[in-house]
Amino acid sequence: MTMTAMQPPRATVDTLLGVEGVSLDGELHSLLMTTDAVQEPTPAEPQVDVRALFEDQAIQYMDQLYAAAMRMTRNPSDAADLVQETFVKAYQAFGQFQQGTNLKAWLYRIQTNTFINNYRKNQRNPYQGTIDDLEDWQLGNAESVTQSTSTRSAEAEAIDHLPDSAVKDALQSIPEDFRLAVYFADVEGFSYQEIADIMKTPVGTVMSRLHRGRRMLRELLADYARDRGISAAPATPKLSRSTK
Amino acid sequence: MTDCGCDKAKAELEEYIHNELTTGEAEDIAEHMATCVDCSGEHLVGLTLTAKVRKACNEKAPEDLRADVLLKLRQMEPSN
Repeated sequence: MTMTAMQPPRATVDTLLGVEGVSLDGELHSLLMTTDAVQEPTPAEPQVDVRALFEDQAIQYMDQLYAAAMRMTRNPSDAADLVQETFVKAYQAFGQFQQGTNLKAWLYRIQTNTFINNYRKNQRNPYQGTIDDLEDWQLGNAESVTQSTSTRSAEAEAIDHLPDSAVKDALQSIPEDFRLAVYFADVEGFSYQEIADIMKTPVGTVMSRLHRGRRMLRELLADYARDRGISAAPATPKLSRSTK
Repeated sequence: MTDCGCDKAKAELEEYIHNELTTGEAEDIAEHMATCVDCSGEHLVGLTLTAKVRKACNEKAPEDLRADVLLKLRQMEPSN
């Protein structure tokens, strides 16, 4: 990384001169112009306002990147830091972004990379590195849930009535790689191939993470609904809780 | 046309929900679900789960983050 990052870019100087040119004395004006000329020995290059382009195209994804960062870091302060870092890196690399390709996926790739390199290693994650190798029974899920048809529509209805906080809590509690696969597929609507590129993993692994993540989520939400009496479904025999 | 059956429908339901099947494959699953309450129930649960997750994760970045990022970018020069 070069240190040119700290110098005022041309656009700012131009804007400054354009807006406040009257108030600038001639000396400062010529100084700015001279400095400018020295810094830009190749004026033949097309003058694209990269910052304006970036702000116009990339900043609109901030809400989504923040929501994803919340799923990654699980707290607002780290999420904000991660998003800021993502935009800084993306801006620095924006010259390498190929216009016309998927900018959102490109930003997500940067954010996921940044997260894995800078944040994940700081977090406790007992599953890390082995989660894809675990058998389903080790994840605490039955391979297939046998239930009647009426139970299924009741289950859908129960899920539908859950508060958003319950869904977020459930998401936060499943293993990170599963959680991100679910997020990328269900919230962002990325294709399996796009998720594979973002997470740098084969498509088969994406499928497995998505399936297992969604199955775990479904189980957790069903439990939550049953515990809160939201479900109309007859509960599978559980430990009855004494109210006294 | 022959019904693809529950096994195939259940095996590919996630890919059906996530639009990862070819048109032909998706038609087979849809055709089976039209007459199978069991599989269409699973489909409903799957769709509900997706919709719910999407809604729950619909979050806004804090306003000061937006300001911080814009400020930071204005202090930088992009490398081209």
